[in-house]
Amino acid sequence: MIELRNVSLKYGEKEILHSVSLTIEDNTIKAILGPSGVGKSTILKLMLGLMRPTSGQVFVDGVEISSLSEAELFPIRRKMGMVFQGNALFDSMTISQNLGFFLRENLNLPEEEILRRVQEQIRFAGLEGYEEQLPESLSGGMRKRVAIGRALIFKPHMILFDEPTAGLDPVSSKKILSLISSLRQHNNLGAVIVTHIIDDVFNVADCAAVLYKGEIIFDDAAPKLHESEHPFIRSILSDKILEL
Amino acid sequence: MPVTLIRNIEKDLVYRLKDFFLTMQDFFLFGVRSFLTIPKIRRYWRDFLDQAKICGADSIPIVLVSAISIGSLLAIEVGNLLEDFGAKTMLGRSTSISVIRELGPLLMGLMLSARFGSRNGAELGAMKISEQIDALRAFGTDPIAKLVMPRLVAALIMFLPLTALSDFAGLYSAAYMAEHYHHLDPGIFWNSVYPRLALKDFVVGFAKAPVFAVIITLVSSFNGFSASGGTAGVGRSTIKGIVVSSGLVLIANFYVSKIVLENM
Ligand SMILES: Nc1ncnc2c1ncn2[C@@H]1O[C@H](COP(=O)(O)OP(=O)(O)OP(=O)(O)O)[C@@H](O)[C@H]1O
Ligand SMILES: [Mg+2]
Repeated sequence: MIELRNVSLKYGEKEILHSVSLTIEDNTIKAILGPSGVGKSTILKLMLGLMRPTSGQVFVDGVEISSLSEAELFPIRRKMGMVFQGNALFDSMTISQNLGFFLRENLNLPEEEILRRVQEQIRFAGLEGYEEQLPESLSGGMRKRVAIGRALIFKPHMILFDEPTAGLDPVSSKKILSLISSLRQHNNLGAVIVTHIIDDVFNVADCAAVLYKGEIIFDDAAPKLHESEHPFIRSILSDKILEL
Repeated sequence: MPVTLIRNIEKDLVYRLKDFFLTMQDFFLFGVRSFLTIPKIRRYWRDFLDQAKICGADSIPIVLVSAISIGSLLAIEVGNLLEDFGAKTMLGRSTSISVIRELGPLLMGLMLSARFGSRNGAELGAMKISEQIDALRAFGTDPIAKLVMPRLVAALIMFLPLTALSDFAGLYSAAYMAEHYHHLDPGIFWNSVYPRLALKDFVVGFAKAPVFAVIITLVSSFNGFSASGGTAGVGRSTIKGIVVSSGLVLIANFYVSKIVLENM
């Protein structure tokens, strides 16, 4: 379980988040919606301890992480997988090295076991034949699948997706969404999905939170979005895509 | 009006000073953490080998070029000067000391800061803005141990043989110029080199290598790690890294010479 409690964040003088409180339960998929630049990616980074809030607290499985040192944060981060908005694949490593990175770094597994798991992810992501390629020679959708595979391979119990379908064609994005929903059925995995695309919310998420001008204006079951009176939520429901 | 102006300037100055000291503190901690992670070298052995090749083997051409040019130049110019005093037989002594103690290491340091430093700055800066450094942290890996420490160790080790190579190439190109430009007998040249060279000449030259290695690697990596603001930001931080590390190389060159020569 991840919980933000009254989290505020400033960049210099500019306040991005203003007293945001948000809870992500285990085994649920929660979508975070909001216009561009509102601080959605920032929220994911706060959850991983990659950034520290200006004030407020962040709890991961009951542990307050915003006061921990970098070394103390590592074991907490290992419970979570992260798919970055720009994928953030290691561009000097091959696809299989990217996929096996976490296993080699953090777990004392025999090399055969690592190779077996990497192969499994390669098949799962439909990347056969690309094992020894560098990320630069892959298409956008393939890179996204590598990024997802890299986060799934160590079986975290919570996974954070930053815009998993942005910029993808409908077929690829459907594949990725069905992958995300299958994860919960098979692996009991909790997830946070940051997205611009309202259809994605209704397709995979159990509940949704809407961030607008630094505050949470909606936090409830996804279908309840239709009942909201807030003009911003009404506008995204009618346009389907959030205005930029 | 002037009062508010002064107040604004004061506020700006205080802000900048604070910023400067905070950056210095960050840099200091960054340096300490890079050294403290050296015990993890076995784990990042591959990264170390890659970096050793980049800063060692791949730097050979540029070190050779700078050593040969400084060696030949010194032989020609100093030779002309000594000829006026009729002291051309001293050519070996004067050039060898310059090459081994001062200009050889200095030019090598500047060249490596341009070559190895700029590469580090640009590579790490690009990793920073594409969030690869955050990704390392997210996957439980210390980016300083994985990215900076192997570069530091590689530079600490590889700059020593590069210094030896630079001395060797500098001296031989000076000897070549002495023979072919000033028509000085090689025996006379080398005779004025060897007996006079003292241990401290080599200590000065070789002590500079690890000092430059630390300066160049840490400054360029720190600037790469603090890159922000897209591709232009990577450019800015790379340039800043080179300017600062070149400046520090110049200063360190002076102080290492001073300290070693005063104490030996
Ligand atoms: N390093 C930084 N320095 C200053 N401001 C920043 C920095 N990083 C982000 N911001 C600001 O923080 C705000 C939130 O950024 P964030 O990336 O979290 O937005 P987002 O909701 O993920 O947007 P998008 O949907 O476009 O990805 C933006 O307005 C951005 O300008
Ligand atoms: Mg974002």
